[in-house]
Amino acid sequence: MTIKFYWRLDPAAEPQRGEPSARPTSGFLPRDVRTAGLTRYDYYAQVARAAAVTGFDGLFVAYRPESDDSQIVAASVARTAPRLLLVPEFPSTVGSAVYAAKEAVSFQRATHDRLGWALVGNADAEDAARTAEFLHVARGVHGTRPFDHEGEYFSVKGGGFQQPLANVPFPPVYLRGDDEEALERSARLADVHLLADAPFDELRSRIETLERLAIAAGREVAAGVVLTVTARESDEEAADAGGAGIAGSYDSVAERIATLYAAGITHFVLSASPSLEEAYRIGQFVLPRVRAALGGLRTAA
Amino acid sequence: MSIDFYWRLPTHGCHATIRRGSYDRGDWSPLKPGNQSPGLTPDGEDDGYRYIDHLAEIAKAAELSGFIGGLIPSFPNTDDPWTISPLLARETKTFRFMIAFQPGFLDPVHAARLSASLQRATGGRTVFNIITGGGGPSQLWWGDSFAHDDRYGRTTEFLDIFRGVWRGQPFDYDGRFYQVEGEHLSQLLAREEIPEIWFSGSSDAALQSAAKHADYYLSWLEPYAQITDKFARVKERTAELGGEQKCAIRVDLVARPTEEEAWHDIRIGFENVSDATRAQWRGQPTDSVGASRQAALRPTEAKRWEELVVGKNLWGGFNLLRGGPALGIVGSYEQCAEQLDELIRRGADAFILAGTPHLEEAYRIGEEVLPLLGRTAAVQPLLEAAE
Repeated sequence: MTIKFYWRLDPAAEPQRGEPSARPTSGFLPRDVRTAGLTRYDYYAQVARAAAVTGFDGLFVAYRPESDDSQIVAASVARTAPRLLLVPEFPSTVGSAVYAAKEAVSFQRATHDRLGWALVGNADAEDAARTAEFLHVARGVHGTRPFDHEGEYFSVKGGGFQQPLANVPFPPVYLRGDDEEALERSARLADVHLLADAPFDELRSRIETLERLAIAAGREVAAGVVLTVTARESDEEAADAGGAGIAGSYDSVAERIATLYAAGITHFVLSASPSLEEAYRIGQFVLPRVRAALGGLRTAA
Repeated sequence: MSIDFYWRLPTHGCHATIRRGSYDRGDWSPLKPGNQSPGLTPDGEDDGYRYIDHLAEIAKAAELSGFIGGLIPSFPNTDDPWTISPLLARETKTFRFMIAFQPGFLDPVHAARLSASLQRATGGRTVFNIITGGGGPSQLWWGDSFAHDDRYGRTTEFLDIFRGVWRGQPFDYDGRFYQVEGEHLSQLLAREEIPEIWFSGSSDAALQSAAKHADYYLSWLEPYAQITDKFARVKERTAELGGEQKCAIRVDLVARPTEEEAWHDIRIGFENVSDATRAQWRGQPTDSVGASRQAALRPTEAKRWEELVVGKNLWGGFNLLRGGPALGIVGSYEQCAEQLDELIRRGADAFILAGTPHLEEAYRIGEEVLPLLGRTAAVQPLLEAAE
């Protein structure tokens, strides 16, 4: 199985970076020639390009109601970061499923099919039901014409896209959650199920459950993990950095990722702050070590 | 006195010439040699360009030739304006993205967040064209089953909330269609300007809603007496509510060095209209009052192009040549400018212009027609009054 790495951009993190409203207005001696046209979106684009040039396969954009919207950010960087899969996170409550599907079709058409959808929510029963219906309707109008649906949250009559909007690949869907209900939902609806980091045996057991449920649903669902990473040249430096998540030397972080891969995880959504510098660090020093280790595994097999 | 001129991004594909209806820019027709975005390599392979690359060219052309921005239409078979605008934000500098948008499709608080984020991405270049009409089967296609007048009620509530949360303080609203509690934009987002709102709709329900929330009242071009009356009514209605309403017209032009050349293109275009196209434009059901007014021109029944000349330099068969409204302006550069002057005299404060092909015609109209505005006697008093 191919391993996929995604960098995760958080529009609310490093809030002063590139932010015109954060610039000092007085008492600042160096002449500041930054114009109003230079904004935080230039920073988002730079993070996206950093992820692309350092060998990530995709970019997740976190949903942060207090900051820039994930779908606007994803589209705004798409044309300056070729090759990357762009995966905005958003809840199914943002609007109509038909409209979301239509926006997705345009994104796919414009970017050579580089959109993914990461649906996030507050994981209560109502949210789960709405997300399930949202995906059913979005996939329905996307792949069927005419499509009719009369449901709890959405109703459509004679729906479905015509050429050339038809036959565009539906974005891969990423769902998350660690309980059995979440795994069951993903077995029916997701392309990739994302887990939180956990001890190896727990992860292994969740992945087995996911595989069993997916087989029962007649589908294939890949497993992924969302990780915060603190990687430094040595374990000591990583410990000193006091970072969250997986912390350690480049070698030990790479080893941990390889272990997760061995447990059946193929999609890795990684993040660290500051986004730009850490994308370079991890892309340059950790990912090649993981790839080398996996190459070794394959050779050994 | 300054008038805002917008261009249009044809989100449903474009043709290389108004003379022929085949959509050879974009992928709305099968890919063949000569097609652009996508095109074919010399080996006959897809060249990898996508329609967004052509839209980027049009936006850049409009920006460079003096248009303030462009309308980005939204129909079942177009690419989507909310996706196009951020995709093109970073490769344009001044071009304003006028997003055609139906309030029923997005949650109003989310729409406010999207808009503020797009304002930040573009340096305040977001404009809304709020659409509420349409109706018929296409509303159900979108998953929207609201009745005509209910939709305007919903639009009003949508915009109440849109503006309400933008103040940045917890906002409560208890409406018929929406209820929100304590919602607001963060300080970061609320600091952006609320986008200018352009409003369409010809019915009474629409006029009422427009009077409350619109910065510009937008109409397709209609016979001049009709549009003069409509603008007067809109301005009057808004004045009753203590506001001031600007009015705008969306119209296609065929502008050529001479009038003969302009009509020549219309004649060839008309003669190339297929029976299938006529049938397609005939009797599409709608509950939009504006669309019904245009249909009353009956271009699909015409046997000769001359039958559709409805006034000096006015032709009522544009919908046979490309998707959209029927009435447009045809003439020399000077005549086109005179018609626009006349519409300004009759109450137009802004325009959305278009011409086919959209890329080349953006330059032509920007360079040849717009500089001629304001020269006719009709608008001189307006210009003097403004000074």
